[in-house]
Amino acid sequence: MYLDVLGAPAFFATGGQAFRPERPTVLFVHGSGLDHRCWALQARWFAFHGYSVLAPDLPGHGLSRGAALTDIETMGHWLAQGLAAAGATATHVVGHSQGFLCALALAHHAPERVKSLIGIGTAATIAVNPDLIAAAESDAARAADMMLRWGFGYAAQLGVSAVPGMQPIAIGRAIMSRNPLAADLKACAAYDAGSEVARSVQAPARLILSRQDRMTPLKAGIALAELLNAPYRILDGYGHMLPIEAPKPCLTCLRELLGELAAPAGA
Amino acid sequence: MSRSSYLHPATVALHTGYLPDSEYGARAVPIYQTTSYVFADVDEGASLFNVEQGGHIYSRITNPTVAVLEQRIAALEGGSGAVCTASGMSAIYTALITLCSAGDHIVASAQLYGSTMTLLKHTLSRLGIETTFVPINNAEALAGAIRDNTKLVFCESIGNPGLEVADLPAVGAIANARGLPLVVDATFATPCLCRPIEHGANVVVHSVTKWMGGHGVAIGGVVVDGGNFDWGAAGRFPELTEPYAPFHGICFWEEFGPAALAMKLRAESMRDIGAAMTPHNAFLILQGVETLSLRMRQHIANTRELLAWLPRQDGVVWVNHPELPDHPNHALAQRLFPDGAGAMLTFGVVGGRAGGAAFINALQLASHLANVGDARTLVLHPGSTTHSRLDAPSMQAAGITVDMIRVSVGLEAVADVMSDFGRGLRAAQAVAQQQAEAECT
Repeated sequence: MYLDVLGAPAFFATGGQAFRPERPTVLFVHGSGLDHRCWALQARWFAFHGYSVLAPDLPGHGLSRGAALTDIETMGHWLAQGLAAAGATATHVVGHSQGFLCALALAHHAPERVKSLIGIGTAATIAVNPDLIAAAESDAARAADMMLRWGFGYAAQLGVSAVPGMQPIAIGRAIMSRNPLAADLKACAAYDAGSEVARSVQAPARLILSRQDRMTPLKAGIALAELLNAPYRILDGYGHMLPIEAPKPCLTCLRELLGELAAPAGA
Repeated sequence: MSRSSYLHPATVALHTGYLPDSEYGARAVPIYQTTSYVFADVDEGASLFNVEQGGHIYSRITNPTVAVLEQRIAALEGGSGAVCTASGMSAIYTALITLCSAGDHIVASAQLYGSTMTLLKHTLSRLGIETTFVPINNAEALAGAIRDNTKLVFCESIGNPGLEVADLPAVGAIANARGLPLVVDATFATPCLCRPIEHGANVVVHSVTKWMGGHGVAIGGVVVDGGNFDWGAAGRFPELTEPYAPFHGICFWEEFGPAALAMKLRAESMRDIGAAMTPHNAFLILQGVETLSLRMRQHIANTRELLAWLPRQDGVVWVNHPELPDHPNHALAQRLFPDGAGAMLTFGVVGGRAGGAAFINALQLASHLANVGDARTLVLHPGSTTHSRLDAPSMQAAGITVDMIRVSVGLEAVADVMSDFGRGLRAAQAVAQQQAEAECT
């Protein structure tokens, strides 16, 4: 569905079910250069299992209009405005990589809108190589290749797919090359408030981390978990792009963790 | 490297889509000869049916062995996904029927495989889908044929049997500028020689019966979704951008983006039409795909030797192949097919239709049959077989003459093929001699 957020039409995927604010709501926030399609095999399950789902495309991404936002705090503010526009109250916020930095910014800016936080493949600070930013500014597809080559684990590099017949690298590449990847990477690189915000967050948090994550290494994820006082799960055999390369293990963890954090209505 | 893998094509052909299974460690891809799959519980079954997660339900729709082949071919072509089918023709049919409905229109090359031509001209027109055939490299004719209800442009990267090379970048640009995807049958080239998606195609189809398998023992097809077409911006494809009732109003473009076409094709056409590839055939074709790059190298080497030899032979009237300097698309072929413009060639023999028949009847090594892309050298007289259903103007538009011999160059020692063809040419010359003597008397 489209909502007007800060004056521009913004697309919020709802997992194939109409958004119902009276249900427990899960907000899925995508990572750098991605959009709601990275949540295709998680959002739909929750939407058909007693939750309401909001998986927005940040401005300039996917099906949303408007100029790309340039810093994480503004993205957090935008998410708060989006939740208000949808009529959602307190939500369970799931963020992948940069998406979790946005979730932290949302929790900092509008704590009343956050019931719980779940981070996937993330860290309190996400360093970005300047060469990658330069590549993204000149050729998003080339930068996407650099990220996917680094970000996918071994099985995905071998083209093993959870969805029969599909190729996660090509899908990720197609999505990232059309989105404002450079703006996202610069926002990530510039965000240095993650540790401080994580220490102050009141909402309960959980993390899903990957042992072979080379973009937000496991030790950085565990350090974030300690700041958040958050239990965490570690998935073996996958890289950084967990929602795409490991949709089923990712969904299984989310189901269990959200089960701990919320009791869905009518599930 | 393709858009789908950072491994080299020869490695993709051997490894992509499969890790040795955790139960037995089988190195080769196993044949999952099963119709159906046990659900862990009721909820998992419901989730699979509702496309909430990936997995297998029934082998008409997906199968683990077939999926490995699909993922491998998608990676070789640089697509976002692939769906294998029972044959090359069913691949074309399911691709077209996923995108077109009654009242829609297709623009297609006038040089196409005979059965594709009859599908477009007769079968689809019976379903209310009309096709206009154009010389595919004539930009004006192509653009002029596009209508408000046109849904796609269709061509072969190398036309069968005229061996016309489609200018994929130019054709793709014209199609995309009008909000249309370019669908390319790339059977004659294989992804070893040309990956059409890198040149502007949006959907690629193959008969994997041919060079992909290479052994001539299994029929199959595949549709590859390029993942590079904006179905939403095109504004012509409610099939992909509007809610689809059978899956709780799922909107494929919104939910799956670059994989929307492949997902829709599987969810609808494989479910409703059911032209599924068998797991055993997928296994057989995988054996071929694993050596594709090696075989294509030898196919091309043998083709080039024959191209050098044939014009020097008495009894050969003309030779046609995109690598020959006098081929009308020679420069284009060099640009799009730098590693070889396929292992198909055609030539004319003295004695016209009777000379062609004498040539074929005299052969001992080359096989006379209606297939291409086998490891063995195959020959055919298109005018009396594959394209016999075409009327005279269509035959002319398809680049077919009565004296045409079509050759699918195999992997034999090429000297033995030359020896066999020499026998055929002597027979054709004898016919021509008799014809000349009859004219004199």
